[in-house]
Amino acid sequence: MEKTLKIKPRRPASLEKRKARAGYVFVLPFLVGIVLIYLPILIDSLWFSFFASESAGQGNYVYVFKGLEYYKFAFTGSPDFVGKLLSGLQQLIFEVPAVIIFSLFIAVVLNQKMLGRAAFRAIFFVPVIISTGLMDSINGSDIASSQMSGGIDDGSGANGGIINIMQVENLFREMAIGGELVTYVVNLVNDIYNIINYSGVQMLIFLAGLQSISDSIYEACRIDGATGWETFWKITFPMISPMILVNAVYTIIDSFTRSSNITMSYIKNVSDYGQSSAMYWIYFISVILIIAVVAGVASTFIFYQRRD
Amino acid sequence: MEMTNNSSTPVITKETKNKLSVDYEGKLTVKERLLRKLKESNTWIKAGVNVLRFILMLGISFVIIYPFIARIAGSFMTYEDVIDSTVAIIPKNPTIEIYKAIIAENHYFEALLNTVLLSLIVAIIQTIISCCIGYGVAKFKFKGNKIVMALVIFTMIVPHNALSLSMKMHFAQFDIFNVITWGNKGLFQLILGHTLSLTNTFVPYIIMSIGGLAFKNGLYIYLMRQFFKGVPDELEESAYVDGSGVFRTFFQIILPLSVPMMITIFLFAFSWQWTDEFYASVFLPAKFGSANKVYMMPDVYQNIPNILAKDNMAGSNIYYNVIQNTGGMMIIMPLIILYLFCQKYLVQGIERSGLVG
Repeated sequence: MEKTLKIKPRRPASLEKRKARAGYVFVLPFLVGIVLIYLPILIDSLWFSFFASESAGQGNYVYVFKGLEYYKFAFTGSPDFVGKLLSGLQQLIFEVPAVIIFSLFIAVVLNQKMLGRAAFRAIFFVPVIISTGLMDSINGSDIASSQMSGGIDDGSGANGGIINIMQVENLFREMAIGGELVTYVVNLVNDIYNIINYSGVQMLIFLAGLQSISDSIYEACRIDGATGWETFWKITFPMISPMILVNAVYTIIDSFTRSSNITMSYIKNVSDYGQSSAMYWIYFISVILIIAVVAGVASTFIFYQRRD
Repeated sequence: MEMTNNSSTPVITKETKNKLSVDYEGKLTVKERLLRKLKESNTWIKAGVNVLRFILMLGISFVIIYPFIARIAGSFMTYEDVIDSTVAIIPKNPTIEIYKAIIAENHYFEALLNTVLLSLIVAIIQTIISCCIGYGVAKFKFKGNKIVMALVIFTMIVPHNALSLSMKMHFAQFDIFNVITWGNKGLFQLILGHTLSLTNTFVPYIIMSIGGLAFKNGLYIYLMRQFFKGVPDELEESAYVDGSGVFRTFFQIILPLSVPMMITIFLFAFSWQWTDEFYASVFLPAKFGSANKVYMMPDVYQNIPNILAKDNMAGSNIYYNVIQNTGGMMIIMPLIILYLFCQKYLVQGIERSGLVG
């Protein structure tokens, strides 16, 4: 301390330095929280996956090192962890494009002037406030309302859904459309309730992005005679592409940390905590990899209006 | 927007701003003008598209609203109505016995009060904290700026279920610098000689919120950061030139500017705390009915009131589901009513924020 004072006698710190210091002050709560609260919790959770807790009497526990045993068991010994993991990731791959496309579409429509726009906006953002936590688990355990409805499948899967896949496949057999695509679209329609519920925040983010595109660009397009279709692909889509990345990452995170998803609900029911911790970490790492791949692929086509 | 003008007569029509076709020479009758307008601009197609769009939006709105209608209808049914397959939406013997039972046995008003209190506290803290952190990350170039943002994203990605047991243990025996599996002694144990038990109070929520570590705080920080990135630097620079310090600039210039975004984040934080179930099970683990139980919203729907118990009877599963759904409706109805008043701020805040990727 004294040394630095000697080198720079009585000179107030430069604006840059003062600003840097102020920056630390602003993020201080987070840094303190991370170090004091989050890190110990995280380390313990990670360590639990390497240790087995054994009772040592009088409510005390001793932790015995097990090495990678839990991890090995997850892959080789556990009956269906790998299967659940794969189907969870499959669900992710199914859900992310569906949510992105749906929320972009709805955001574009809600951004236009139309009859009853205010009312539609109010209704469409209801899922934003209720689709987390508690409502998710109520929806999951809901036999009654789908039995009463007899028509709409509201996420419980008890009924056949809106469309029957066989009928649609018959319809499209004559056309040269791949069976996978038909199945995907049918699943999408039948899952519409969940997709709507999971795309609330994404809609908001897209709407914000759409609002930030200046009207003068659209006006220039109109004067040049571009159709609405062209305007969408040449202007709206590139301008909103950063939002697509943000939403893709958010959707992955949201879908993967949701406790009703296949893998999570499987791991939750694993009774041994060490074992379930190990599974959580495997799951976590695989999703991190997916996010890295998505971000890498997306960053090649994203258009930034101004780079800083 | 193509204008086809095949007419040979030299009539000047002009599209003004409000799309009125002006016939300067006054030669055309009203009917002719209307017909011409229909022919020239694709009015029919547009009308068709509009109607289709309206129907589509109506349909999707129905999908969103229908479960509410079904559950509210179910909540007024008796056990007999629920198992009667001829009753679909409108109950034969409408009754409010489910509501009465839930209010009486599931501590509804207590839970409501607790939840309002907790949601308010947590939402206010989280809004302010994520505003500060977002501002710090967006506007100041300090060492480790990018690392802080990466950590924020990291806290979002780690599923909180994975941390549930260690979180429970850490708050049941709260200490600083204490890793349970390492067995080292923490700060409180060294100074006070014992750890603090914080479960079954609101303190863990508050600690997590102050650290910006609670549910989805990463998203709030991210949104705030994006918002502040859109605020021009010149604004602060001119304030600095005028002799205002960093913090005064923040409080007097930046904060008032970011109110719409803060309202959006407040609404997120408030409603997501309201419907939270996971943290209630971690931080408030006391059993239903025990003395130190803090009743929260999840308790309203998880417990089947004794007075309505229909164990071992046909269709009791469905009836219990109806009861749970009624509880669910009672949980979210106050929130929905609140939302109807605030929804325009939710959308406006994020719309005006000029959020960029």
